[in-house]
Amino acid sequence: MNQFVTLLVGGVLLGAIYALVALGFVTIFRATGVFNFAQGSVLLLGAYVIGRLHDSIGFWPAAGAGIIVAALASLLIDALLIRRIRRADLGTLAILTLGVDILLLTELTRRIGTDVVSIGAPWGSDVVELAGIRVPASRVIAGGVALVLVAALAVAVKVTDWGVAMRSAAEDGETASLMGIRLNRVAAGAWALAGAFAAVAGLFLTSFPAAGVTAGVGIVALAAIPAVVLGGFDSPEGSVVGGLVIGVVSVLCAGYQDELSFLGRGIGTVAPFVVMLLVLLVRPSGLFGTREVTRV
Amino acid sequence: MSRLLAAGAAVVLAALPLYLESFWLQTGLFAMAAIVGAIGLTLLVGIAGQLSLGHAFFVAIGAYGYAYLAGQETAGADGPSGLGLPPLAALVGAVALAGIAGALFSPIAGRVRGIYLGLASLGLVFLGQHILQNATGITGGYEGVAVEPFSLFGLHFSNTGPDDLVVFGVPYGALERLWYVGLAIAAVAIWYGRNLVRSRPGRALATVRDSEVAAAVMGVDVVRYKAAAFTVSSMYAGLGGVLYALAFGRIVPESFGFLLSVDFLVMIVIGGAGSVGGAAAGAVFVTALPLILNRYSGSLPLLAEPGSGGVSASEFSRYVYGAAIVAVLLFAREGLAGLARRARPSPELKERLA
Amino acid sequence: MLGEPSAEAAGRADRTGRALLGVHELSVAYAGAVQALRGVSLEVPERGILAVLGANGAGKTTLLRAVSGTLAGQGGAVTGGTIELEDRSLLGLDPARIARAGVVQVPEGRRVFSNLTVAENLRAGGLAARDKGARERARSWVHELFPILAERATQRAGLLSGGEQQMLAIGRALMAGPRVLLLDEPSLGLAPRVVEQIGEVVREINRQGVTVVLVEQNAAMALAVADRAVVLEVGRVSLAGSSRELADNPEVRDRYLGGGSEAAPRSRRAPARGEELVVDGVSVRFGGVAALSDVSFTVAPGSTHALIGPNGAGKSTCLNVLSGVYGASAGSVRYGGRELRGLRPHRVAALGVSRTFQNISLSPTATVLDNLLLARHRLMRAGFVSDGLRLPGARRERARHEDRVREIAALIGLEPALDRGVRTLSYGSRKRVELARALCAEPGLVLLDEPVAGMTREESAAMADGIAAARGELGISALVVEHDMAFVMGIADRVTVLDFGRRIADGTPADVQRDPEVRRAYLGGEA
Repeated sequence: MNQFVTLLVGGVLLGAIYALVALGFVTIFRATGVFNFAQGSVLLLGAYVIGRLHDSIGFWPAAGAGIIVAALASLLIDALLIRRIRRADLGTLAILTLGVDILLLTELTRRIGTDVVSIGAPWGSDVVELAGIRVPASRVIAGGVALVLVAALAVAVKVTDWGVAMRSAAEDGETASLMGIRLNRVAAGAWALAGAFAAVAGLFLTSFPAAGVTAGVGIVALAAIPAVVLGGFDSPEGSVVGGLVIGVVSVLCAGYQDELSFLGRGIGTVAPFVVMLLVLLVRPSGLFGTREVTRV
Repeated sequence: MSRLLAAGAAVVLAALPLYLESFWLQTGLFAMAAIVGAIGLTLLVGIAGQLSLGHAFFVAIGAYGYAYLAGQETAGADGPSGLGLPPLAALVGAVALAGIAGALFSPIAGRVRGIYLGLASLGLVFLGQHILQNATGITGGYEGVAVEPFSLFGLHFSNTGPDDLVVFGVPYGALERLWYVGLAIAAVAIWYGRNLVRSRPGRALATVRDSEVAAAVMGVDVVRYKAAAFTVSSMYAGLGGVLYALAFGRIVPESFGFLLSVDFLVMIVIGGAGSVGGAAAGAVFVTALPLILNRYSGSLPLLAEPGSGGVSASEFSRYVYGAAIVAVLLFAREGLAGLARRARPSPELKERLA
Repeated sequence: MLGEPSAEAAGRADRTGRALLGVHELSVAYAGAVQALRGVSLEVPERGILAVLGANGAGKTTLLRAVSGTLAGQGGAVTGGTIELEDRSLLGLDPARIARAGVVQVPEGRRVFSNLTVAENLRAGGLAARDKGARERARSWVHELFPILAERATQRAGLLSGGEQQMLAIGRALMAGPRVLLLDEPSLGLAPRVVEQIGEVVREINRQGVTVVLVEQNAAMALAVADRAVVLEVGRVSLAGSSRELADNPEVRDRYLGGGSEAAPRSRRAPARGEELVVDGVSVRFGGVAALSDVSFTVAPGSTHALIGPNGAGKSTCLNVLSGVYGASAGSVRYGGRELRGLRPHRVAALGVSRTFQNISLSPTATVLDNLLLARHRLMRAGFVSDGLRLPGARRERARHEDRVREIAALIGLEPALDRGVRTLSYGSRKRVELARALCAEPGLVLLDEPVAGMTREESAAMADGIAAARGELGISALVVEHDMAFVMGIADRVTVLDFGRRIADGTPADVQRDPEVRRAYLGGEA
C-alpha cells in the first residue's frame, strides 16, 4: 500500500511538470493555432543554458538566464518564421515547427554529446518525508512551482488585458484585429510564455532523480504530447488533467514493472501513448477539446 | 523524346552494378527502399490529405514481417526462428501484413481528424518500438534479427554461394543481384503511384483532401476511401520495409523509430507533397546525403568524428533536413515538384507562343 | 414607397461638411481573378451617415473590408484606387492600426466573442482606446445606449439573443472611441422591432459625433437612418444621392426585386428525366435556433424552381438538407418516392441528385477535365487494381466517360478550357465549371447554390444560357437558390420564398414579385 501511495504521489508531482509543458503547447495553440513541435528542443535549450552557466554565475541567475533564453528562442521562432506563413494550414505550420525542432535538437545534442551536465539545483538530491512517504525534494518543489505558475497563468488570462486579448484572438483572430488588438503582440506573448514554461519544466526534469541534462531530454518532451492530445489542444484545464494523468500512468507502470512484466519491459514510456490512443477512440478531440479545431 | 531518355536511363541503371562498389550499391538499395516508402507517404499526405507520423510503424511491419516469414525454422545462433517460407512468398506476406495493419488503423483515422490524427499515428510508432523491443521470440529484441537472403526461382542472392554468377567479367554477389530486384520494385512502385494519381480513386482522394463535403456530394464514400488510402500507403511502407531488410541484412528496432517517420516526412516535403516523382527525388536525397557525407567525412573540412566537438556527417545531414523543411515551407511550398512545374512552360503559355 | 427619411436626417444632409473618409476609384480582386469592386468612388462627410445598399454579392462587404484592412484574410487585395481618412492613406495598414486610427468595423454576422462575457467583450473592444479615461467614458456611454449590456455584464456572450448580440457588437466597437463606425448589415436576421431600435441607436451615435457608414440589404431601414446613400451593383456604384432622392426612386426597388425584366421565352425542352422532389414540413434546428421551420414545396420533374429570400433566410440550409449534408429534425424529403432524409451525401448522389456550392468547391490544382471526371465517380467502376494497373477495361471506361464529359462541357461552353488548371480561370468560368461538374454526374435533379453570385451581367447571361441548355438538352429539374432577382425571374417556372426559415410565398415569378409579404421581407418597412 505504501508503495502505491508513494508511486501515486510521485506520479502526480511528475504530472505537474508534464502539465507545464502541455500548457506551453496549449497556450501557443490557442493564441496562434500552431502545434509547436519545437517545444521539446526549447525545453532542452533552457535546461542546457542553466546547466552550463550555474557553475560560473550561480544557480538562481543561471535559472533566470535559462528561462529568458528559452522564452526568447520561442518568441523568435514565431516572429521570424511562423509569422511569414501565418495563414497556412495547420499541417504545414506543424511541419515547419518540426523542421525547427530538428535543427535545434541536433545542435543541442551535438553540444551535449555523451556528457551528463548537472543542473546544479540547490536542493540537490535531498529527500523529504511527507506523512510517511519519501519523495525527492526537487519533485515537491516542482509540484509547488507548477501549481503557482498554472494558477498565475489562469489568473492572468482571465484578468489582464493581454489575457482578454489572447482569448479574443483565440476565438476569432480577424474580429479581434478589427477591434484594434495587435495579433503579433498576442502571439509573441504566448510563444514567450510557452518557452519560459518549457525551461522551468526542463529544470525540474533534469533535477534529481534524473541524472542531469543529457541528449535524451529533448525526447522527454515528446512524452508530454499524449498529455496535450488527451486533454484537448485548446483547453488549459485539459492540459493540466492530461499532464497529471500521464504522470501517474507512467510512474505507476514503471513502478509496477515487475508485476506488469508480461506487457514487456519499459511499459512506462509507451503506456501514455496507449492511453492517448484509447482516449481518442472515445473522444476524438481529447477530453476537453472543442471539435472544430482539427482542420489540417 | 522522353521515351528515349527513359530507355537510356534504364540502360544506365541496369549497367551500374558492373562499375559500382558495394558501398554505392548498398546506398542505392537504401534509396530504392526509401523511394517506395516515400511514395506511400506522399499518396497518403499529399493526395488524400491525411497527416501521418506513423509511417515508420508500417515500414517496421514490412521489414520484420519478411524477416519472420522467411526466417529459418530452427532458432540458430543468429536469433529467433521464423516460418521458413520461400522469400517471394514472404515478401508478398509482409506487404499484405502491413496493408492489413493500415486497414485496421483506418477506423481511428476516420474518427480522428487532422493534427489529432498525426499525433495518434505518432503513438503507433512508440507502440511499435515497444513491441519490437519486447517480443523477443519473433523480433530478437534490441539485438535485432538477421534477414534471410532473397532468392528467386532457385537463384540465391547471397554472397556465400551456392550460385556463382559472373556478368561481363564482374562477379555478381548479393548486392548486385538485389540491385535488379530493387530497380524492378521501385519502378513498379513509381509506375503504379503515377497511375493512381490520375485514376478514379486518385481523383476521389484528392477531392476528399480539398473538400470532404464536395467529394461526398459527388458520390464518393469518404470513409471507405480514407481507409483505402491508409491501406495502400501502408502496403507501400511495408514493401519499402522489405527492401530495407534485404539491403541491411540485419534489422534492429532502433531503425524504425520516430526519426524514420520524420525522415519520410522530410522526403515528401522536399519533393513536394502529392508528387510521386518528387517523393522519389526527396527519398534519394535524404537517404544518400548522410551516407555519402559519412564516407567522405575525412576529406570534407566541415566534418569531424561524432563526439569530438565538431559536426559529424549525420549531424550535418540533420541540419540540412531541418533547414530544407523550413526553406521549402517558407519559400517554395510545393517543393521540387513545384519548382519543376514552374520551369516547364504551361499549356496556356505554349498556346500563346504558338 | 420605401421608408421616409427623417426630417432630421434631411436637415443633417445640408449641415455636414468636408469628407472624413474618401474612397476613390477603388478596385478589389479576390485570388487575383474575381473582380469584386471595379472603380468605386464615394465620400463620407464628417458627422454624416452614408448608407451603402445593394443585393448580395454586390461588393458591400468587400468595400468595408478594404477600408478596415481585412481583405488579405479572405485572399483579397486592392488592385487600384485609394482610401483616405482625412489626408492619410489607409491602404496597406494592418487592421489593428486602422482601428486605432479611429476607423472601427462592426463585422457582418455580429461575431461577438461567445466564450467571453459581455463585460470582457467590451473590454476587448476598449483595448484600442487612447487611455484609461477614454475607456471609462466609452464604457459609461455604451451602458447608456444599451442598458441591457450593463445588466448582462457577467453573462457569456454566446448566450445572448441575436438583437442583444448586435448591440454588444456595436457597443464593443464604440469602446475604442472611433471617429468612423462601419456597420456591416446590422439588421441581418433580426426582427423588425429590433431593427427599428438599432436604427435609432445609430442615429443617436451619430448625434454624438461619430461618422457612420451603414452597409445594408434592408433598404428601408438604411434610408430612414442615413442622409446620403449609394447603391452598389456588381462592384460598381450604380446610383448615388441623398437618402430622400433614393427613397423616392422606383429604380432602387426594381433592382432589388428584378422588376422590369420579362420572363424568359419558353425554350425547347427535352423530355423530363428527373423525378418529382417533395419537401414536406422540413425543420432544422442548430442548438436552440430554428434555421428552417416547417418548410414545404414541390419541384415538378423537368422544371426550374427558384428558392429565394433575404440573407439568413435558410436557403443554403435547405439545400444542405436536401443533399444530405445536414440532418433535418423533422419532416421528410422524397425524391421519386424515395426518402432522402437520413441518407449520407454519397447515397443521395447515387439517387441522381447533384449540386453546386456557393463557395466554389473545385480542386484548384487539378485541370477542368479532372474536376468534371470526378462527377462520373458514381457511374464508373475502375478501382485501385484496375485503374492503378491501367487494365484495358479501365482505360476503355475512362475514354467513354471522357467523351461524355466533353459533350457536356461543350454544352456549357467550356470545351477550350478543359486542359487548363482551375486556378487559372476567371471567377465566372470557375462557376460554370462548378455547374458543368454537377451536370456531369448525370443527375435527374440538380441543386444550384447561388450560381451567379458576384458575376457581371454578361457572365450571368452566359450562366443562364448554360442552365437553359442543360434543361433543354438533358431534361433535368433544377432547384436554384439565388439573390439576383433578374436572373431568377428570367429562368424560373416557380418560386418559393423563405424568410426567417419559414415559407412566406410560393407561386409563379409574377405572383411572387407582386406579393406584399415578399416586398416587406426584402425591402423592409411598409410595402
